[in-house]
Amino acid sequence: MYSNVCTGALQGIYAYLVQTEVDAAGGLPGLEMVGCPAGEVREARERVKVALKNAGVDLPPLKITVNLSPADVRKDGTGFDLPIAVGILCALERLPQRVTENTLFLGELGLDGEIRPVKGVLPIVREAAARGIKRCIVPAANAKEGGVVQGIEVIGAENLPLLLEYLQANKERQKELIPPTIVSPEELLGDANISKEYDFANIVGQEFVKRGAQVAAAGFHNMLIVGPPGTGKTMVGKSIAGILPPMTLKESLEVSGIYSVRGMLDENQTLITERPVIQPHHTVSAQALAGGGRIPKPGLVSLAHRGVLFLDEFPEFPRTILDILRQPLEEKQVVVSRAYGSYRFPADFMLVAAMNPCPCGHYPDLNKCTCTESEVHRYLGHVSGPILDRIDICVEAPEVNIHALSSSGRGISSEEMRERVKLARSLQERRFQGTAYHFNSQILAGDMQKYCAIGLQEEQMLEKLLSRGGFSVRAYHRILKVARTVADLDGSEKIEQKHLSEAVCYRLADEKYWKRGKGA
Amino acid sequence: MKVWANEEEKNRQLPLAHFFYSVPGMGKRSMEKLLSVYGSFEEAYRAKGEHLQGILGEKRAYSIENHKKESNPWNTYENLRKKGISFVCRLDREYPEKLKDIPDAPFGLFVKGRLPKENKKSVAIVGARRCSQYGEHMALSLGRELALAGVPVISGMAKGIDGIGQEAAVNAGGAAFAVLGCGVDVCYPASNRELYEKIQKQGGILSEYLPGTEPRPELFPPRNRIISGLSDIVIVVEARQKSGSLITVDMALEQGREIYCVPGRATDKLSEGCNKLIEQGAGIVLSVEDFLEKSGVLLPKGSAAIGQECGKGQLESLSEKEIALWKLLDFEPISIEQLHIQLCTKKGMGQITLQETMELLMGLMLKNKAENITGCYYSKKE
Repeated sequence: MYSNVCTGALQGIYAYLVQTEVDAAGGLPGLEMVGCPAGEVREARERVKVALKNAGVDLPPLKITVNLSPADVRKDGTGFDLPIAVGILCALERLPQRVTENTLFLGELGLDGEIRPVKGVLPIVREAAARGIKRCIVPAANAKEGGVVQGIEVIGAENLPLLLEYLQANKERQKELIPPTIVSPEELLGDANISKEYDFANIVGQEFVKRGAQVAAAGFHNMLIVGPPGTGKTMVGKSIAGILPPMTLKESLEVSGIYSVRGMLDENQTLITERPVIQPHHTVSAQALAGGGRIPKPGLVSLAHRGVLFLDEFPEFPRTILDILRQPLEEKQVVVSRAYGSYRFPADFMLVAAMNPCPCGHYPDLNKCTCTESEVHRYLGHVSGPILDRIDICVEAPEVNIHALSSSGRGISSEEMRERVKLARSLQERRFQGTAYHFNSQILAGDMQKYCAIGLQEEQMLEKLLSRGGFSVRAYHRILKVARTVADLDGSEKIEQKHLSEAVCYRLADEKYWKRGKGA
Repeated sequence: MKVWANEEEKNRQLPLAHFFYSVPGMGKRSMEKLLSVYGSFEEAYRAKGEHLQGILGEKRAYSIENHKKESNPWNTYENLRKKGISFVCRLDREYPEKLKDIPDAPFGLFVKGRLPKENKKSVAIVGARRCSQYGEHMALSLGRELALAGVPVISGMAKGIDGIGQEAAVNAGGAAFAVLGCGVDVCYPASNRELYEKIQKQGGILSEYLPGTEPRPELFPPRNRIISGLSDIVIVVEARQKSGSLITVDMALEQGREIYCVPGRATDKLSEGCNKLIEQGAGIVLSVEDFLEKSGVLLPKGSAAIGQECGKGQLESLSEKEIALWKLLDFEPISIEQLHIQLCTKKGMGQITLQETMELLMGLMLKNKAENITGCYYSKKE
């Protein structure tokens, strides 16, 4: 007898549907598997046989052939165990073929018949829903993750005997046996609590840096913080996530898909509802950062998708590692190529970097700074021009004196900052309706005139300031984009002189430091 | 040593003097020995290898023999001239009178451009490579005013004070002379290329090292004796307690030159060296005019007085708030944050937001009254 069970597999972070065909016929008894299975899929043969036996199913001495179609795509993962088992049961007529109609099966089998969790449930269920499948049977541990997807029934099965009973029962009995898992993503998003651990209120002084962070968060601008040790750079970097505009459902599903593929979602967290903050150490490898492996998996830059990639001690990262960031910063994605295909991983993150101004950390306090010109040059040289080109906001954190620490009260809190950011976000949403843009930072050169137009007077002022500050031309567009965000924070549709002034302030550190580094 | 009597003798001897000077391992001593034995370089050139061996030792005599085989003295000298470099040695009438008196005077000098005029007073401006805004300002005004007074500025064309002082001098149309720790055809530091070209036109690049010599750390301290030797007065603008500028001061004292120091605040490490020197009896630069007056360098009439506070008239273009902010600025870089806090505590300012402070600051930048040092640090500009 022939049977056909639908399941899904991953390629990179994208899912596709796989047909598991099983045929049982006379011949030399055995279980044969074809259809380009990888090692762990091939092993399914043994797991399925034993799991079925322990679930009380005796396999008759028949030749059973399993084919995974499309047969020309290499298949990895352990999620094929369950569909193969169900397929065999159908082929042996132990289950009626109709139970597999419009249903997707996914799950790993233990030898005792238990159905164990697998990676990538969310993208596979989403793909199934998009392809018109009505029901998904997934491991119980992954049920909530899959349940986030609307318009499809998600059943979390704990073990094979229970599942068999469920499949053979009538509709009412089925609901009693395993109720469908329904999770409301809106509710999850609404519950998103902002971590209280890092709050801007805890950072004393540094109002300039905080303001810079607020502007960066409002327009999703990349940001670099320069300052001596102990000035709160790291705290600012970590607190930024708390003031970012909340994620939309679409964004949340996108990000959760990536985490699902990496197996980082669990019952407690079925959906990524907060913008992620990823802080790699500077010893991070190229593969870990960009994604890779024999079967490419998304790297840290993709885990930071729609969130913050925070690089503390920026120049300590080897230059080769920093240069990896160039592609994601430019194209908002990473392409990892292997002999059998290329994988695209989304990586639209906000880069927040922190660094000391010189190796000893005390510049421009010449009383304390002991570095020579060439030492500073070498240190700053670790950060390459192309990376700097992609950083819109560069602020310097001045040294905080103890007096200020003890006397001044709490500064502006994340809560207050977040409210402003929300306002700026809503203005941007309205502005970019019907376009591919989400944030001001994404505006391309061609659309500058449309979104960042300034009056004649403002233009003259900017030109004058640019020539005074010794700016390069490339700084011009970035200043305009930042000024756009500053105006949005003000609730102003027009970019005024004060907005431009502020935007220029955020570029000076970059221009000064790296020109100084070049020894001009 | 007998100075060459006339042009004709100089033309005969100079290529040979250059020849011996370029022999590897030939120092000042060996040159003098040669002269005392043979009387002239011409005679020395004719001398046999064995004879030279008896005077200079085997190694040097061998070097000279080798050098003879490798190069023709007249052609090499001609090539040098074609590169715009001249060679001046102690037997030459052009050799600076001031240098003759100093201990360990260099035997020869390579010059790109010209030598300082003999009868003229000249001043050296030396100081830290990494200098503060204040030091930069002082070096700049001193260099400029000296140039306006027609006084050449001698220094090492290094980064920081040295270069800033000389740059100000040449930009004001004055003369500057740079003594390098490498060959005169090597621009070090490379970032001072523009200054290097200007000094050649308006003064000269000098070095006792052979053209093509790469800068090496050990070559720099000895050149300081030439800097102080060529000048009548040495001004130290900023120097740490252990600083290369203090080597120049030591040599200047040995040579009997006058020392002036720009004083600094007690807390500034960069001024420690200067303040210490003042304590020990060096002259103090109270202001630029004060120095010009004390040192007897007189300003030609009608030239702009310097160091004066920005007059009322210049501040008229500023708004009240801008003036308040400008008054908070100093040569010492101050952060936006500090400016903001201080501005808020000022009476009659009312509530000022950080954004407003930034706007005011940019306004001052536009009017050229403030300068950005790095990132969030700003200093006053007059």
